[in-house]
Amino acid sequence: MLLVNHLSISYQATQILNDFYLSLATGDIFALLGDSGSGKSSALRFISGLDEAQSGQVVLNGKQLSNNGIHNVAPELRKIGMVFQDYALFPHMNVKKNISFGIYNLSNSEQKTKVEELLLMIGLKGVERKYPHQLSGGEQQRVALARALAPSPKLLLLDEPFSSLDKHHKERLVLQVRDILKKTNITSILVTHDKYEATIFADKVGVIKNKKLTIN
Amino acid sequence: MEKNCLKSKVWISVLALLVAMPIFVVAMSWLFPERELWAHFSTILLPNLISATVVLLIGVGIGVTFLGTILAYLVVMVEFPGRQWLEWALFLPFAVPAYVLAFVYLGVFDYSGYVQVWMREVLGLSGFDIRTGSWAIILTFILVFYPYVYMMARASFKRQKINIIEAGRLLGTGPLRTFLKISLPLARPAAAAGLLVTLMEVLADFGVVSLFNFDTFTTAIYSAWGDFRSIEVAAQLASLLVLVAFFLIYFEKKARGQAKYYSNEVANRKPYRAFGVMGWLISIFIFSVFMLAFAMPMLQLIIWGWTYSGKGWSVKYIDLIISTLILTVSATLITVSIATILALPNHCKKNSSWLKSVINIATLGYALPGSIMAVGLLYGINQVSAISIYFGGQSINQIIFGSIALLLFAYISRFMAIGYNSIKASTEQIKPIFTQSARLLGVSRLRLIWKIYLPMMTPGILAGGLLVAVDIMKELPATYLLRPFGWDTLAIQVYELSAEGLFEQAAIPALIMVLFGSVLMIIFQYLDKKS
Repeated sequence: MLLVNHLSISYQATQILNDFYLSLATGDIFALLGDSGSGKSSALRFISGLDEAQSGQVVLNGKQLSNNGIHNVAPELRKIGMVFQDYALFPHMNVKKNISFGIYNLSNSEQKTKVEELLLMIGLKGVERKYPHQLSGGEQQRVALARALAPSPKLLLLDEPFSSLDKHHKERLVLQVRDILKKTNITSILVTHDKYEATIFADKVGVIKNKKLTIN
Repeated sequence: MEKNCLKSKVWISVLALLVAMPIFVVAMSWLFPERELWAHFSTILLPNLISATVVLLIGVGIGVTFLGTILAYLVVMVEFPGRQWLEWALFLPFAVPAYVLAFVYLGVFDYSGYVQVWMREVLGLSGFDIRTGSWAIILTFILVFYPYVYMMARASFKRQKINIIEAGRLLGTGPLRTFLKISLPLARPAAAAGLLVTLMEVLADFGVVSLFNFDTFTTAIYSAWGDFRSIEVAAQLASLLVLVAFFLIYFEKKARGQAKYYSNEVANRKPYRAFGVMGWLISIFIFSVFMLAFAMPMLQLIIWGWTYSGKGWSVKYIDLIISTLILTVSATLITVSIATILALPNHCKKNSSWLKSVINIATLGYALPGSIMAVGLLYGINQVSAISIYFGGQSINQIIFGSIALLLFAYISRFMAIGYNSIKASTEQIKPIFTQSARLLGVSRLRLIWKIYLPMMTPGILAGGLLVAVDIMKELPATYLLRPFGWDTLAIQVYELSAEGLFEQAAIPALIMVLFGSVLMIIFQYLDKKS
């Protein structure tokens, strides 16, 4: 279960989020809608532990990760996965190495099995040795998802990962990703400004308006 | 189109080949083989000298790579107390000529220096010989040359996508693994480029090795010329250095060719914050490097300079400053102008492997030790005079030997690589689409250069100019051999006095040089920050 409480963020004296509250049950898929600059990505970055805030608390599965806007647990220890808008795949590593990056503590054979399972799940078997620049945008997006899922995170954050895809591919991929998340039962938050994408992807949709979150 | 390209090809080739002339002169020396002398060199001198050079290169190479990369990573990726000014301060050792640091360390750590006197008189310990082995000279070179790797690696880290580092962190990776697995492999080509420049500087060094009495491959070159009076063998040995440099450049280019990992934006966000004990430990580590490479040597120079200024301050320093400035400014302006012409984007250059090759050859002068550059030029002119006399003409030796033109030519040929690489890097942001849209708007080639290319290349031109100026001001051997009669520069004064152990007297010209160099580096930093 995820609880985000009293989250307030401001940049250079401009308040962008005020007393943001969000509670999700395990396995919930949530979409956070909002205009550009409304603070949705900032909320995600706070939850992930990458940026601090004026105030705010994050509790994941009963463990307090942040309090009063300060992080008690570093990003690398939070067990939170993230898919970035530009995927942020490591350009000098092939697909296999990208996906296995977060599971380096497993044995080689366990890593191999896990990578194969994930590639099968995202429908990209056979691309293990390819480099990110040799993949299409949709393929890169799915590899980024597989990489984020590999360490079995307790929470998955998706920061506008579908925004650069064309409409046709986007819809298909959104549904595919939703299926995968449902199968793995990982609590997820998608940040987007596309209302339709939010509706078909999530169980619950929230909108940031006037610095506050309203859940539909 | 073809006709235009022919004209461009001729112009650029002439310019590039002219700059590269000393290399050809040195290569031409193989037409006059001296078998007996080679037999002597290859059996008696070379094996030891080559192994000493290799040890020096490996030691310095490992040292500068570690130090330069780690320092760059810390100032770019980690927020710690004092980071901003330390990031800037780490550039300052660039302004210190290698032989200045060498004579300061010799003065302080040699038998009669403070350290050993203190060890003997206070601790009752026997001293050590700083000239024994290679550790002291390796450390000196590391402290002088780490800024090359630091500067290149820093620029590379700054252009790494911050998202990639954050993705690594969210996958459970700590700072060390992120550095080793993500940041370092991505910065490898840049660090390799810095390493390449360092190795070439070490191969070409004259001042430090002679102050430390350390024999390297260059010793063989001087021996061939000085002891055996064979310019040919000296030049043949020097050409081997060019060959090594050529291979180093080839491997560096090959490594760089695969690297297009950079974001166009420079991120100011730091992925890591280190406050508390860890933060202070990082600050102390970086501050220690700054102290050893810059602050302490400067303090020592100030103490010596102050001691001596009461005895011998004279107007001669003004003359030294003026002659140094005349040479530095004029050589820098010409070098940067030629480098700009060679680096300007041009479709003929892009499609011509010939032009690419001649431009590459024009930058190889950096691998020629200054003294060999000088000998090569004197040798070349001597040959031209001999041909002229053979055909009933006159010798040109008297007109050219000891003229400023010859010295300027040596500087231009030697430091073209520094100016060219900096300016070339600035052309990488000129995307073909800018040229295409300007041409479609009816803009002529000249206007395109004036209005689009040059404004976009200005930061690179200025940065290249500053680096070239610092290097020319510090240049020693070519100046020593080619300067016009009576033209002493600051560098020559420092070397002559320190070689005689007159450290106090050498301190004032050294300080003036470091001061000028520091001002240039501060401007360089300011431009870097602005761009």
